[in-house]
Amino acid sequence: MINIKSLIIIVYIVFINYSELSDEADKVTTTSNDFETTYNEDEIYDPLEDFNRAIFKFNDVADRIILEPVAKGYRKLPSPMQSGISNFLSNLRMPLVIANQLLQRQGKNTIESTGRFIVNTTVGIFGLFDPADKIGLEEMNEDYGQTLATWGVGDGFYVVLPIFGPSNLRDSTGLFLTAVTDPVNAYAINEGEGWIVPIRTTINAVDRRSKIVDEVNALRNNSVDYYAAVRSSYYQNRKAAILNIDDSELTPLPVISVEFE
Amino acid sequence: MSFLYKIFFILLLSTTPLLADEASDWLGKQIDVILDAYKNTAISKVDRFNLIEDSISKNFAGKGIGKFVVGKAYSSAPKKTQEEYILLFKKHLALNIASLMQGYSSQEYSLINSKYDEKNKVSMIDMEIKSDTNKIKVTWRVKKHKNRYFVIDLIVADISLIQTKRSEFNSMLKKIDGNLSELNDILRLQNESSYSKIIN
Repeated sequence: MINIKSLIIIVYIVFINYSELSDEADKVTTTSNDFETTYNEDEIYDPLEDFNRAIFKFNDVADRIILEPVAKGYRKLPSPMQSGISNFLSNLRMPLVIANQLLQRQGKNTIESTGRFIVNTTVGIFGLFDPADKIGLEEMNEDYGQTLATWGVGDGFYVVLPIFGPSNLRDSTGLFLTAVTDPVNAYAINEGEGWIVPIRTTINAVDRRSKIVDEVNALRNNSVDYYAAVRSSYYQNRKAAILNIDDSELTPLPVISVEFE
Repeated sequence: MSFLYKIFFILLLSTTPLLADEASDWLGKQIDVILDAYKNTAISKVDRFNLIEDSISKNFAGKGIGKFVVGKAYSSAPKKTQEEYILLFKKHLALNIASLMQGYSSQEYSLINSKYDEKNKVSMIDMEIKSDTNKIKVTWRVKKHKNRYFVIDLIVADISLIQTKRSEFNSMLKKIDGNLSELNDILRLQNESSYSKIIN
């Protein structure tokens, strides 16, 4: 009898407790301040939306058929091999990162990135290893889009580029500047080895995509408007990059995001 | 009088990190519940999702977030439509988080930093998820309400789940003239699709 009583009390407590917890959860109010957002941030200037959606659909299909399966296969490579490829590609980006840090007058960051480039190119055997990280020279990323933003250039309208993915007028200009000023690509073309450029771009795309397989799937499988979700993610990601919020922790952008490098 | 101010100031400084630490401890336990559910191979996928949904329902401010996400469309809708929307949104939130956490279940995580935003009374707790080749930062935005903590946002690599949902839902509402009832229909279909992907 005592046991039945105890059981009833336990069941009662558990059920009442669960119901109270859920009720309390419903009473929590939220405001814009809680999320550090404003109504204006919901309004992204997208005058080419219909056209962008068509390109987005194409990119999404290309991603599902080609990039995602390749990225998943790439993830099956031994971890040291993946890290080596990733480090090598990251090291090749460094001259442009340093140039952009200089253009943004980031003296300390420029020195650190230069040190990182020297250490990883020499001790790290052409960037295959990342000994610089172990001595506190962490990876930072700066591009022309970020540089233009710090110079006061606005976003312009939102645009989805075929294969290259979400962008805006300013960042597309940045992408073009990267394509024409990248010293590694320029050297390869001068030496008659232009084939290196698309190979490098493709491997870079696969490496970046492999790091966000779970996040992209979660977004894609659970969005009522996947296009709008990616557009918002792009702007949030770029805003954080421009303001240099946790620069080393930034991940690549969702969906197909390939850069000329 | 200045002595009292000093005491107040010292108390304020000492309480702020305490609040963040307390929230961090609480959050660690809740994350363990979700990730342990994924690691437990003895339960079916349906039971696993139910367990995670329960945990999210208890620990996320689902109604507050749901109202925030659709803005004016909520206040102008009939009560019955509002109630239906909140139920659907909570399910949608659970599916989103379960789907994301599913990907992280095999990886190691650690709570690396926590800070308390005194102005907005919100704790921000940083979690680092590490694999052999990658690491990603997830920030949990946690609010205290009547001596309990509730998660109000999840920020993955500087991308806020709630801001993204707000933008996504606003875009959808524009197409359907802000009609919450129509959004409920869309949300119901999306939830069914997401659910089938989670349990299969």
